Amino acid sequence: MDLALPSAHYACPCSSSPSAITSARRASHISAPLKDDDPEQSTFDPHSPRSAYNLLPLTHLLFCDECSQIRCPKCTIEEVITWYCPSCLFEVPSGSVRGDGNRCARSCLDCPVCEAPLNPTSIGERDTAEEYVLRCGYCHWTSADAGIKLAKSTKLTEQLAKFRRTRVEGASGLQHDDEANVPRVAITEASKPQPRDHDDAFGKLTTFYKEQLSESSDAPNPYGGSNYNSPTNLARIMGIYGGLSRSALKKSREKPQPMREAHGVNEGVATFQPEEDGDERDIVGKMRELGWDDLTSEQQQVVAPVNGDARFTSELWPVSTRLRTKRGKRCKVCNQIVFRPEAKPGSTRTKVRMLAHDHIPKLALQPLNVAARAQDPSFIVRKDQLYVEPNLRPHAAQQYVLTVTNPLFETVKVTLTTPAITPGKVKSRVTILCPEFSIGPAGEMWDDALSSSTASTSRPEDGSRKAAMASLTGGEDSERQPEAGKVWEKSRNRTKVILEIVPGALKEISIVPKAEEAQASEVLGEDEDVLQVPIFVRAEWMAEVSHPPGGKPEPKELREIGYWCVLGVGRIMG
Amino acid sequence: MSRSGPVSRRSVKTEYIETETGNRISRKARIEGKPHIQLGGKSMIMAGVILRGDLHRKPDPSGDDERKDKTVITAISIGRGCVISTGCVLRPPSRISKDQITFFPIRISDNVFIGPDTHISAGTIGANCHIGAGCVLSPFSYIRENCKILPGTVVPHSMTVPPGCVVGGRPARILGDVGDGWGHGGGGEGEEWIEGGDLKRLVKAIK
Repeated sequence: MDLALPSAHYACPCSSSPSAITSARRASHISAPLKDDDPEQSTFDPHSPRSAYNLLPLTHLLFCDECSQIRCPKCTIEEVITWYCPSCLFEVPSGSVRGDGNRCARSCLDCPVCEAPLNPTSIGERDTAEEYVLRCGYCHWTSADAGIKLAKSTKLTEQLAKFRRTRVEGASGLQHDDEANVPRVAITEASKPQPRDHDDAFGKLTTFYKEQLSESSDAPNPYGGSNYNSPTNLARIMGIYGGLSRSALKKSREKPQPMREAHGVNEGVATFQPEEDGDERDIVGKMRELGWDDLTSEQQQVVAPVNGDARFTSELWPVSTRLRTKRGKRCKVCNQIVFRPEAKPGSTRTKVRMLAHDHIPKLALQPLNVAARAQDPSFIVRKDQLYVEPNLRPHAAQQYVLTVTNPLFETVKVTLTTPAITPGKVKSRVTILCPEFSIGPAGEMWDDALSSSTASTSRPEDGSRKAAMASLTGGEDSERQPEAGKVWEKSRNRTKVILEIVPGALKEISIVPKAEEAQASEVLGEDEDVLQVPIFVRAEWMAEVSHPPGGKPEPKELREIGYWCVLGVGRIMG
Repeated sequence: MSRSGPVSRRSVKTEYIETETGNRISRKARIEGKPHIQLGGKSMIMAGVILRGDLHRKPDPSGDDERKDKTVITAISIGRGCVISTGCVLRPPSRISKDQITFFPIRISDNVFIGPDTHISAGTIGANCHIGAGCVLSPFSYIRENCKILPGTVVPHSMTVPPGCVVGGRPARILGDVGDGWGHGGGGEGEEWIEGGDLKRLVKAIK
């Protein structure tokens, strides 16, 4: 996990209560109940290996208002809304996606060497006929390296397919007539190795098996009686109960022709052909002669089936751009749509967007001391100003401001709880000075603007003389001391409370030498020196119950939500 | 921080010139061809930025003379609330056709953050994009809205990045999608600014 400290990550409840989602689906897989699996009782350990998969930043979380729960990518079902080519942004109809092999069938081609897009470039002299090659703007590979030159700059994929077909057929064109007549000769004839086109072979195989399937399904199958939906089965049942003649019954009991497997080249089977020794030796010799750069990498071979057999970069073929999808998301529990983008590939608008950001109080942690505030690493604007991770000295108490923002339109009562000593190998002490408070409702944008003038009086903003003085003296509001049980600062829909953190030591000093196992268990894993504070947030509010228009307004209903939030504070120095 | 004595105060006015529309432009930025550059307002151009507005499309000599004088050809247009960090170079892309170099404009939409030391020759950058430090956006690359380009990425020539993608690597590949709540929230009073969000407050906050 890339940590940009201070950070705030939210735990999706689907990880702590697997019963709601997985029990129905995989009840048989859960043999023994986990130890202390009561999520209400146990504290969330941000250092446990599982938590890396549960903690997400707020922008990645959705919210299901039917279940009143946070929904993460693990507890939503994705459904494809459209397929589109990322290069030409063409929306591919779902019917032709599979036929095109999930690739763009228009003129979008990628470089087989580096996967950057290819562009048709004219190479012809002015007075001669125009000729085009495909050129990569990144690695300067051109299709001329593979011996491909095109006559026009449009319909590239079509031209390439034709070019490839002629090339493959040109190599094995002589054998085609023989193959059709004598299917098995080609296998035994080791002296005639031939390069075969995979697409061609695949097409033959599919037609062969389709034929086989249709042949075998013509004969009613007495053993495949599990599915009564198919018309053949229905016909069989009707035959049984409809009182057929003896001969017809006997015929129906006849064993169907078993399905035959494909054999022979014209049925699409590709068998290993022991090629002549010289051929293999040629390749090995060529490999020895040519440098590393002329051999294809594994990545280049697997990126497209076209290049699966390519051994040398000169054999690489331009790759059609892979399609991307736009996906909607549904809640896994209640099937409610929580996210649905517009179908058009170029559009960024959404039809449904239930963000957790709009439904749960948001937490943000900053040091109380302005000078100690770390810069956001994604907003560094000067090159000489590098991001420094906030470092913490062990046993030195630090005070932090925790800002809790309310996105709801009702006043929310928030209760924060945290273990007094953070879980994990490094034990740090955390105290929330005011764990219970309320936050005002969120309003319109102009409310914010109106109240900002009053908010700024409570605390000096940047640029004012007081702030400058405060930063010089090393502490803002030096006259004010954080008090236990009191809210630090309160504005319209935002409340700030103080957190006191005493970072623990990475190594506990002890006079008595420890056993080897104890020492081994003290070795810190990755990021275990990062101080992370798990906080359980519980929010309660009175929500208006929706009632039919004209009906009697019902009394407000108590709603609540609880979730774990992990605040990354900084790295403890050794 | 150096001590600001009374002598230096007179000579060093402020680092930034603020325009009527709220753009803040560093005095240390090198800007060529000013008439060909458009700034949307509340945008930030920091020290060491090079804007090549002089590389604009030459007016068509065959066109009528009246239109030639009136229309101003923009080479670089930057939207509202953009931040162009130190050491960035914006150079309009060019193409050679009929033995002539033709320059094409760079269009940057609103709320685009561009990290330090990034070279931009892209054709278009959509709104709410976040471009990391030390990237190269090769000529005619086309970045759509809500994209995140990781630091050190080289976007190859004429690549299109569809909306809402995370892009990284050399050459750039689409690595994934941005979060569903990209750019949502943040940027408000006293709030942290977030990637893809409103950057007007960040523009104000930079000293």
